Amino acid sequence: MLVTGIKSKPVYAPLRADPGGRYHLLLGSGPGAAPLLQVLAELRDDAPDSLARSRVLFAPGAGADADGSSAAFAAAGVADVRTLADSGALLGEFESLLAASRMGLRLYVAGPESFIGLAMKIALQFNLNTDEIRAQECGSKARRVRCVHCRETTEEVRTNIVQCIGCRRWLLVRDHYSRRLAAYMGVMVDAEAPGQIPAIEEVFP
Amino acid sequence: MSGRSTVHVEVTAIEQITPQIKHFTLRPVDRAPLPAFSGGSHVVVVMRAAHRVHRNPYSLLSAPSDRSAYQIAVRRMEESRGGSEFMHTQLQVGSHLEIAHPVNLFPLDKIARKHVLIAGGIGITPFLAQLEDLHDGAIPYELHYAVRAAEHAAFAERLRAREGGRVRFYFDNAAQAIDFDGLLSGQPLGTHVYVCGPAGMIDRVLATARRWGWPDSHVHWEKFSAPPSGRAFEVFLARAQIGVKVLPDQSLLEAIEAAGVEVPYLCRGGVCGFCQTRVLEVDGELLHHDHYLSDADKLRGKSIMPCVSRANCKSLVLDL
Repeated sequence: MLVTGIKSKPVYAPLRADPGGRYHLLLGSGPGAAPLLQVLAELRDDAPDSLARSRVLFAPGAGADADGSSAAFAAAGVADVRTLADSGALLGEFESLLAASRMGLRLYVAGPESFIGLAMKIALQFNLNTDEIRAQECGSKARRVRCVHCRETTEEVRTNIVQCIGCRRWLLVRDHYSRRLAAYMGVMVDAEAPGQIPAIEEVFP
Repeated sequence: MSGRSTVHVEVTAIEQITPQIKHFTLRPVDRAPLPAFSGGSHVVVVMRAAHRVHRNPYSLLSAPSDRSAYQIAVRRMEESRGGSEFMHTQLQVGSHLEIAHPVNLFPLDKIARKHVLIAGGIGITPFLAQLEDLHDGAIPYELHYAVRAAEHAAFAERLRAREGGRVRFYFDNAAQAIDFDGLLSGQPLGTHVYVCGPAGMIDRVLATARRWGWPDSHVHWEKFSAPPSGRAFEVFLARAQIGVKVLPDQSLLEAIEAAGVEVPYLCRGGVCGFCQTRVLEVDGELLHHDHYLSDADKLRGKSIMPCVSRANCKSLVLDL
């Protein structure tokens, strides 16, 4: 029933530093710290001057070792490390930073898929292109699902079928992805046979 | 253009606007609306001179909203291969020409947050049409226009009147030069830079942008250069089963066309990749002058862009 192989579903690759950038902005949420540290290590080897023009925004997540990760970022030589309470606060900070940024910036994002999607959505508003953004998925694959019927977005969806928080319809979660909305498409699953809801399974752990 | 129709136009106005540049207005002979185009487009003008046919690309500089006529400006080149010479000396009001449909290889980015336009000399032409699109929009832009001296600044009055403080002129003879580092180091995120002008200017903009970390997708350039001349050589077209001699001041593409074989093309300047042709055999060296093939592909020698590239060889066989 899940429709797969749809091209709009984003594909992310392991993070690599781009020494061609002049400024480097690294965003991390939860388990995203490790890949960002890897990027910083590569920058230190390939473009050491750029560490002084690098900045990390990190949201450790509940129960994580916030002090440990910010110490690790500082030890990597980054000029500016900011630890934020949660990914919402981080994305707000990110947006104001972009508004004040200059051309030459490279963006690195590491964290759960929905975090990457929301960061990309903001980056898109600033006309950052694919050659300026790199992202690596780590952590939850839970999806943001946009209901095509009522246009409400249901967050943290882990199952193939979900009840829309807006119109209460049962939605099939598709692989169709909108970068502008940072959400997957959800379509009423029992439109032709009302009340017949297929088995609900956790598919986005 | 091969495989595409051409439009027959009549020259309805010619104006000498600088010591070296003439401004032409071209109206369709049948007075039907011309094909629509967007700012940055060029047309290839087919000139049937006495002994050869020239096909030169020229940017459209008129407003894209005006489909009754196209306007182009042509600089007479000091070492003309014949095309600009023809445009300057053989055309009068009332002359007829053939032009290919417009093609845009230098479009504005539709979702840019700012545009920085850099023109050198006759390189102002694509920007004139783009400014028509930008003028009433909400996206900020600025034009930097460098010329040798004030009298060479084509369309200066029109630009000053319409664009005011958004255009800045630089005159070489007054020792004014564009500060490329200053220009490209402080632009806001989402800016796109566009350059059209001499090769040296384009190279400097590309190198400066790279130094300041600009990604390729935000840097746009257009270069109209004559195909380089060189030694005469011979080529055999395998499918047509004919041999063709390429003269020193003729491009490989022109020689093939003169022999009656059509090759698809768009830019005739080694950029778009449309005329890429398979090399079946070569005994000697291919002289690649294009900006399309990768260095690895150039070394491999299995492809050539006949619009600008040549060969220094005993024999060359192409898949045409």
